[in-house]
Order: sequence, then structure tokens, then C-alpha cells
Amino acid sequence: MAMAALRREGRRFAPSSPPPLLDASALLIEHHVPFGARSISTQVVRNRMKSVKNIQKITKAMKMVAASKLRAIQIRAENSRGLWQPFIALLGDTPSIDVKKNVIVTVSSDKGLCGGINSTSVRLSKGLHKLNSGPDKEPKYVVVGEKAKVQLIRDSRKHIHLTISELTKIPLNYTQVSVLADDIIKNVEFDALKIVFNKFHSVVSFIPTVSTVLSPEVVEREVESGSGKLGELDSYEIEGGSTRGETLQNLAEFQFSCVMFNAVLENACSEMGARMSAMDSSSRNAGEVLDRLTLTYNRTRQAAITTELTEIISGASALEG
Amino acid sequence: MVDVVIVPATRGQLGVLPGHVATIAELKPGIMSVHDGNGVTKYFVSSGFAFVHANSFADIIAVEAVPLDRIDASLVQKGLAEFTQKVNSASTDLEKAEAQIGVDVQSALNSP
Repeated sequence: MAMAALRREGRRFAPSSPPPLLDASALLIEHHVPFGARSISTQVVRNRMKSVKNIQKITKAMKMVAASKLRAIQIRAENSRGLWQPFIALLGDTPSIDVKKNVIVTVSSDKGLCGGINSTSVRLSKGLHKLNSGPDKEPKYVVVGEKAKVQLIRDSRKHIHLTISELTKIPLNYTQVSVLADDIIKNVEFDALKIVFNKFHSVVSFIPTVSTVLSPEVVEREVESGSGKLGELDSYEIEGGSTRGETLQNLAEFQFSCVMFNAVLENACSEMGARMSAMDSSSRNAGEVLDRLTLTYNRTRQAAITTELTEIISGASALEG
Repeated sequence: MVDVVIVPATRGQLGVLPGHVATIAELKPGIMSVHDGNGVTKYFVSSGFAFVHANSFADIIAVEAVPLDRIDASLVQKGLAEFTQKVNSASTDLEKAEAQIGVDVQSALNSP
């Protein structure tokens, strides 16, 4: 009877064990099989599920944090846009001006997990560098922020003049940025400063932008040539008795610090917005992976139960049969 | 559209009316007042620039600008006394210059 039952239930365990001599020995068959070979383990899947659930929670929390920081800094960034507008009204914007000593100031974030904004800034900076390279003019880099430093050091190390990091450790304020601007002006010779940053348009759109600040000598040169907006600078009276050269010097420094302040604020906004959308898609992705894992887990669990039931039933019917 | 804007330029008060010739003026710390039909709004500006464009637009860029009603007079007096004392006791040129700047700012704050 036992043999017939065994033959009916398949040849799974028959060849691997000696034919049973007693009816109750159906249970003994288990001794001859390696331990646990027939129980399907759900432990691996369960561990993965736990870690994916944690990832989902963490990324959701990071998104909330970024959203709240964005709200605070967005107002400041939008208000700071008024700082450089008068300078454009007076001096115009000449991004394509041809000068010998270009300095590219790349503004980036210190922390990661913010999408692709730092890579776009670096790509734009490298493009500018290539555009402005010539026989006797090599643009230099001033890097603000860790992420761009890491990327630029890889292939443009000798062009990097100055790096600044941990700018956002204390909340951004004008004093800090003006000290930074002062530092840059003192240590770097420049004819034109090109500041590369991500302008904040909306929570989902950040436009890589270049702001140009010209040195007083170049402004003087353009005024002499009489072309464009700068040519009209001659018609402006200088109040206060200082020469136009001195006024232009002060103007250039002030303009640079205003533009830097706005650039750093806008970049911080873009960083928060990019981090929000990156963390959002990450937690959504984690949710999908969790769904698929849950299905696998249930399938595995049910298969194990079915196997157990099958064994018990076949054993029982072998006993009766 | 306002009537007059008076800004504290380095050489003194500069009044800007519509039709003023295009000018770039550097500002020293002082009171800036905007007069329009209804009244005057006064601000204290710490320093900056004033651009007057030919089309009768004026831009004033200041490092810090505070409406006057936010300024506490007693603190101003204290600051003035403190900086005057620092000017008298300053040893190096740099300290003297810094203290002098403080005195200038505080007395300008004091003046209206």
C-alpha cells in the first residue's frame, strides 16, 4: 500500500530513500532528506521588504524637509532678484563679450541626492571654458560647493583657482556673500566674471544660467567704443567728484556681490526643488518595488503551505490506503 | 510716479525730479526720502548707488535700507556715544577708520 501511494505521489523521494518496510514509515522518509530542503524560505524576501520600506520612509521624509526649506528660501530668492536689475538697466548684459581673462564661477550644492542640477552646471561651465579658450586666453575656475569641485577636479584640476565649500552651513546672508565676493576679486585677476548657476523658475524647472560681470577696465573700453548699452554710459553724469574710473570700480565690485548673492540663493532654491522631485520619484519607485516584493512573498508563502499540505495529505492517504 | 526723491550722496543731498539728467551717484549712510502726492516716506540707507536714467527712472541700490519708524532712537544714542569713545581711544589707523565710520553712521541715523 505504501509503495503504491509513493508511486502515485511521484518519484520525488522514492529513489533517494530505501523502500519503507512499515506503514508508519512514511514519516521516516524525512530523515533521509537533507534538513530544510523541502521548506521554501521567505526570510530573504522579508529582509528585502523591510529595507525597501525603510528606504521609502526615509526618502519621503527627505522630500518633506526639502519642501519646507524651499518655502523659506524661495521668498528670499525672489526678493533678491531686484538687486541686480538696476545694474542691467545701467550697464546692459553682454554675455558674449570677448575678453582675455575669463573667470568662471560655478555655483553648486554641497550635499547630493538633488537630481542632475550640479551636473548641468558643470557641463555648462565646461562648455563656456571650451568656448572661451584660445591661444593666449585660458579661463579659470572658481568653484563654490563640493559637488562641482569633485566633478571639475577630475579633468580640469590645473584650471581651478579657488574652491569654496560649506557655504550653506549658516543661513545665507548678504554679509557672508560680500566677503566671499571680496575674496574672489582680490585674489583673481579678471576681465569678465561668468557666474554659472541654476535659476529657479518653478518647483519643477531650473534653468542653467550665466551672469556676466565685467571688470572696470573692460567697461571703460566698451564705453569708448560707443556701442550698445555701455556706449551710452558716457551720457551719465558722475555725482560726487570721483572719476568715472573709480566709480566704475566700486560699481563692478558691488555688482559682483549682488549678482553672487542672487546666484547663491537661486541655486539653493533649485537644489531644494530638485531634491524634492528626486526624493519623490525615489519613494514612488520604492513603493513599486515593495508591491512586487509583496506579491513574490505571498506566492512563496502560499507555495510553502501548499507543499506542506500536500505532504501531510499524501502521507495520511498512504497510511489509510 | 513720485515727485521727488532725495538721496544722501557722498557730496551731500541729491534731489532727483522727473527729467533729471542721467546720473550715477555713490551714496553714503543717511536718510533717503521719497516724496509723492500724499506724503513722505523716509528710509535709512547704509550705502549703495543711485542711478538716474534718462527716461526719468531712478534705481536706488542699497546694501541695507530700513524704514525710519523701525529705528530705535535710544539705541542710536548709545551707539553714537560708543563709537565716539572708540574714535578717541583708537590706536591704529584701521581702528580709527572703523570707529569713524561708526560715528558717521550713528550721527546720520540721529539726524532727522
